[in-house]
Amino acid sequence: MKLEKNELRVAVFIIIPTAILFLFIILKLGYSLASSTIDVYLKVDSISSIKKGTQVKIKGYPIGRVVEITPVYKPALHFLAVLRIQKDINLFEDCSAIIQNQNIIGDPVIELRNPEKKGELLSNGSVIEGLEHVNLEVILQDVHLLLTTVTDTIGLIKDISLESKGNLRNLVSNLASSAATFSSMLQSSQKDILAILTSFRETAKTMNDISEELKRHPIKFLFKKDKGE
Amino acid sequence: MNAQDSNILIALIRKILDVWGGFRDFFRFSSSIFSSFQSFKHLRFRSIYTIAINQTRFTGIDALPLIISIALLLGGTVIIQATKNFPKFGIEGFIGNLLVLIIARELGPLATAMIVVSRSGSAIAAEIATQKQNKELHALEVMGVNTILFIVFPRIMGSILAIFSLIIIFDIVAFFGGYIISLSTVFIPIDIFIESLLDSFSFEDLVITLMKSIIYGILIPLIASYYGFKPQSDFQIPIYVSRAVVRTLLILFVINAFISALFYF
Repeated sequence: MKLEKNELRVAVFIIIPTAILFLFIILKLGYSLASSTIDVYLKVDSISSIKKGTQVKIKGYPIGRVVEITPVYKPALHFLAVLRIQKDINLFEDCSAIIQNQNIIGDPVIELRNPEKKGELLSNGSVIEGLEHVNLEVILQDVHLLLTTVTDTIGLIKDISLESKGNLRNLVSNLASSAATFSSMLQSSQKDILAILTSFRETAKTMNDISEELKRHPIKFLFKKDKGE
Repeated sequence: MNAQDSNILIALIRKILDVWGGFRDFFRFSSSIFSSFQSFKHLRFRSIYTIAINQTRFTGIDALPLIISIALLLGGTVIIQATKNFPKFGIEGFIGNLLVLIIARELGPLATAMIVVSRSGSAIAAEIATQKQNKELHALEVMGVNTILFIVFPRIMGSILAIFSLIIIFDIVAFFGGYIISLSTVFIPIDIFIESLLDSFSFEDLVITLMKSIIYGILIPLIASYYGFKPQSDFQIPIYVSRAVVRTLLILFVINAFISALFYF
């Protein structure tokens, strides 16, 4: 009985890995014999522009649709859109996916573009990265925001220039009055200056006489007493 | 050349001759198993089958908890290192490659073989040595049973089956353990992960893994049995058991490097 149990356990132990091995071989073989479409993943930051059923095109030719959009929370919130595209279209790894509007009010479409340098073919489960996200609504919002900012800036410059104009006028009038005041000051002090200069000249003459007298009779000059003393 | 140098040279030559003699002895022992297949018809299938089943159970099923734990830890370590040291954006594109490269090609078979050597290799060597010292082998020979065939052959069969299953289980547990651990830092859809694994794991890898499981399955019990038959007294049993484990590990590393160089270099 114990032996039978052992045999059963050993059989399960060998059969399960062998079955997994066969499953792997079948998957590996079946992988190349897959259906006519392949599923590739597209990373997008926002799903405002695409939805389930959004067309996938290459050079304007429709090759598939978005079949599922799943949110991914790690490392940061983004979305994986599953693109089911025809297998017979040769798309290469590093191809870019551009979300664009067909016209101003048209539905968005995902335009796939092959890279310049063709590497390996895009396989089932591949992820398309480096998505160039072109959204008309967002562009209009951005343009509106830009125009608002420009208007504000112009208004600010206008205010500054108006304020500056008044200030300049005040400055010029202040300068004119300062010049007039300085001129009148100069005119009023002109007579006094002449009198001061005349007084300086007379003082200098007197000093000159004293020095002459001192040179000629120094003792007499120093010890001479007035007649009245 | 002075006396000391000549002594070293003599010791070196003696060592080389010892190693060479050991290899010759081992090949003689291995060839004796093949030559003993002539007496296979005299053995009862049921007895060999029972030993093989017991050996598979001991080497494979009983080692499962250890194998699963180590596989989870190794897979997790590889993924933690990958998500830590590689950019997270686009990691899903190469995580399958990384796991196949490290786990499936190298670590899986080698770690499994190391566990089998440390558990079953030592057990086989110790069991045969004890049977020899207790004259059980002698009793079998007296009954006309070819002991080498009766003891070694079913253990080789059991080990091949066990190692084959263990390597597959190890790889799968390491892959999905690594995947589960990776979810804590970066999100990878399961179908992308499986696709990536399938893309990375080639048929060549599969053939090499099967080849390794067969080679390890033959070598581990063969070397362990060889050293199990060696002890001449009770106190020599631990010496030869230890020697069996160490030398089997050494040979496994050499063979693993040789196979990797042969197929991937």
